[in-house]
Amino acid sequence: MLRYITYRSLVAVFLVWIVVTLVFLLLHLVPGDPAEVLLSQGSTAADPQAVANLRDRLGLNDPLWLQYAHHIGGILTGDLGTSFRDGAPVAGQIVQRLPRTLEVIVTAALIAVLLGVPAGTLAAIRAGGWIDNVISFLSSLALSTPVFVVGSVVILIFAQELRLVPAGGYVPFAVDPARHILLLLMPAGTVALALWAVVARMSRGSVLDVLERDYVRTARAKGLKRRRILKRHVVRNAMIPVLTVLGLEMGTLIGGTVLVEFVFNWPGLSGYLVSAVDARDYPEVVGIVMVISILFVLLNLVVDIVYAVLDPRISLTR
Amino acid sequence: MTMRLTRRSFLATSAAGAALTFVGPKALRAATNGTLRFGLSAYPPSFDAWASSGSAAGTIKLMMHRGLLGFGPDGKMRGELAESFSVDDDGVWTFKLRDAKWHDGSPVTAEDIAWNVAEAAKPDSTAYFRGEFQSIVKVETPDDKTVRMITKEPSAVLPGWFAHFNMPMIKKGEAPDTTMGAGPFKLEKTDRGVSLSLVAFDGYYKEGLPKLAGIQAIVYADENLRVAALDAGDVDLIEYVPWQAMEQIEANDQLALDAVDGPFMYLTFNAEHPPFDDPKVRRAIAHAIKREDIVAAAFYGRGGPLEHLPLAEGSEYYNADLAHGWNYDPEKAKALLAEAGHPDGFECTMLATSQYGMHQSTAEVCQAYLSMVGINVRLDLPEWATRVQKGNQGQYDMAVMGTTASNNDPDGMTQLVDGSLPASFVRSYGLKTPKLTELLAKGRQTFDEAKRKAIYEEMEKQAIEETPIVGLAWRSQGFAMKKTVSGFTNMPGQLCFYSPETLEETALG
Repeated sequence: MLRYITYRSLVAVFLVWIVVTLVFLLLHLVPGDPAEVLLSQGSTAADPQAVANLRDRLGLNDPLWLQYAHHIGGILTGDLGTSFRDGAPVAGQIVQRLPRTLEVIVTAALIAVLLGVPAGTLAAIRAGGWIDNVISFLSSLALSTPVFVVGSVVILIFAQELRLVPAGGYVPFAVDPARHILLLLMPAGTVALALWAVVARMSRGSVLDVLERDYVRTARAKGLKRRRILKRHVVRNAMIPVLTVLGLEMGTLIGGTVLVEFVFNWPGLSGYLVSAVDARDYPEVVGIVMVISILFVLLNLVVDIVYAVLDPRISLTR
Repeated sequence: MTMRLTRRSFLATSAAGAALTFVGPKALRAATNGTLRFGLSAYPPSFDAWASSGSAAGTIKLMMHRGLLGFGPDGKMRGELAESFSVDDDGVWTFKLRDAKWHDGSPVTAEDIAWNVAEAAKPDSTAYFRGEFQSIVKVETPDDKTVRMITKEPSAVLPGWFAHFNMPMIKKGEAPDTTMGAGPFKLEKTDRGVSLSLVAFDGYYKEGLPKLAGIQAIVYADENLRVAALDAGDVDLIEYVPWQAMEQIEANDQLALDAVDGPFMYLTFNAEHPPFDDPKVRRAIAHAIKREDIVAAAFYGRGGPLEHLPLAEGSEYYNADLAHGWNYDPEKAKALLAEAGHPDGFECTMLATSQYGMHQSTAEVCQAYLSMVGINVRLDLPEWATRVQKGNQGQYDMAVMGTTASNNDPDGMTQLVDGSLPASFVRSYGLKTPKLTELLAKGRQTFDEAKRKAIYEEMEKQAIEETPIVGLAWRSQGFAMKKTVSGFTNMPGQLCFYSPETLEETALG
């Protein structure tokens, strides 16, 4: 187990280094100059000398290899640099924003699993029946409705018509826990909608598959109660592919909740990444992408370990 | 039996989820007494006082800072830190300071002002007016309350620099991105990217102002959510009202819309790419586009056609006889193209951006109309940062642009049409306009109103002829607020982004 984790961690470090290098190079390759963008805000003509001064101050006039060396050197010493825009430390910003995004994703995943696994199992047991049809219709609907539509409708109904919730936003938990949860539920619920459909569909297929297995027939033949078979033998075994998909989906969501964050004004990591790219804020972009890739790799590792817990036949030694 | 249990637990879980959604104490949305909640369109990219950091940063700067001069709600220039200003026969500007205080309680002195000018003009400065300030050769401070500025050549437009929200005064020795100014509000707390809290400065130099106890500025980057937040009562006032929402706001009896035609859209050319070096071709393009369709497509009818230089009808420098100099006349456009040797038109690219819907829609309407006179346009729609760079480096044939001028003075046209200025995406590339350059310089050095008016009329006439840019449309710039908000005014014309200056007089219900 330990050897396995060590091996995977080394691979992960290598992968993250590749990602950071690629992102760094890509950023310098694509058009758009941070100093120019910053000083032309409001569509004004920036003084070319002022732009040159800012480039100089930001170290953008150094040769690329030197900028790269500075950057990697910083990362190795735990310094992700400061924002080109206002000099805010990148690491501090990420520490502040990452939990907000993780909170949305984890809450969404919980909702998705709590609702999706029973729904999928139910649909599988009653395959072909009306419950199955209803669940499959609902999951298709949930999957095919874009988040910005769901988000706008949620805002319209709950904030503008019923006036039950504010129109998006964020309040720290420490300041006002009730309002924090209330505001969290909107983006989390919206993300959960699509995630629920994925979980329900995967659960249905997987449960159907397991139900056909010999060991389920054996269990039934030896007179085990149906509920016990479902709980012990079917659902447990059926969860492996569901977990894989959920893990990957969550990984994608770490950098992919842009629209949800935008629609609900949730100040998470995705929105931060987009604004950093827009401003060509190189240290911010590299820092955020690095953190996202580390999390993605970690998540995959966790999924692999959970496999082993769920199914002792899967061995982690190699 | 087993099934029922499953179903029941399933229902129980979903009911719990649904119930949570409804936990919403209404009291949470009550407005704090005396604190205005301002729906901001973006978080300021930086607090650099003298850099051009956009309108959202401008809004915050106008809460924290004041310049020597400013603008009143009527759009008239007025003294702020300077209680009076005048120019003598040699063109030396004298500013008399009033008894104002910095947020730390120390007095605003002439020395502070001189330091601001010197710092912003430094070779390594990133100030918006760095270039302009090179013409200020000397700043004298005969006493604590008097500042005299001596320029290379007499300058009639110097006050405009010191009234701009990109040239506020900060205390001597502070870093350029300090949040300590002499304005009506003090920045108390920020949550980067999310919100800013400001409280009234009790030492503000205007008796009884600001009226508000504070301002909570909350960023709503999504324009539709910004409107929803106003509608739901989460904020009291929003900037950048999207055009599609203006009708809905006007129809709502709880809300008020204050919109002015200020910013404008226009076309720029790359004169290093023939045939755009030919004024006849540029003018043909100016006559080929029906402006009303741009206003309808890009701005939901909120704006107006612009068939001359962007000098507003309300301005003293508006020339009624030139206002339709580039009117929609496809026959004339074709004739001009034929005269220029392109009777069958030509192919070219048009740079705009897909990041802002109004730029893309404007480009699409232009493309359609130009095809009718034989000019086949291929659109190039990168995101904004790329578009800016391509514009600055001349990587285009024609480009769609949108901006405002510095203020309502006709000298604002300099940025758009003076070909002697360095290359910039806001003006045509590689296009020399010596006659315009000369007239604009003359305008800057002329103090007599009547003479100035004659100079700028000649300048506009010349511009219509040469067509260094093509005016397309005015666009409405709106603030929306609850009816209980009073004292906030959207300033006329090009000054719309200065409007947050009136927050000092704003009050709640």
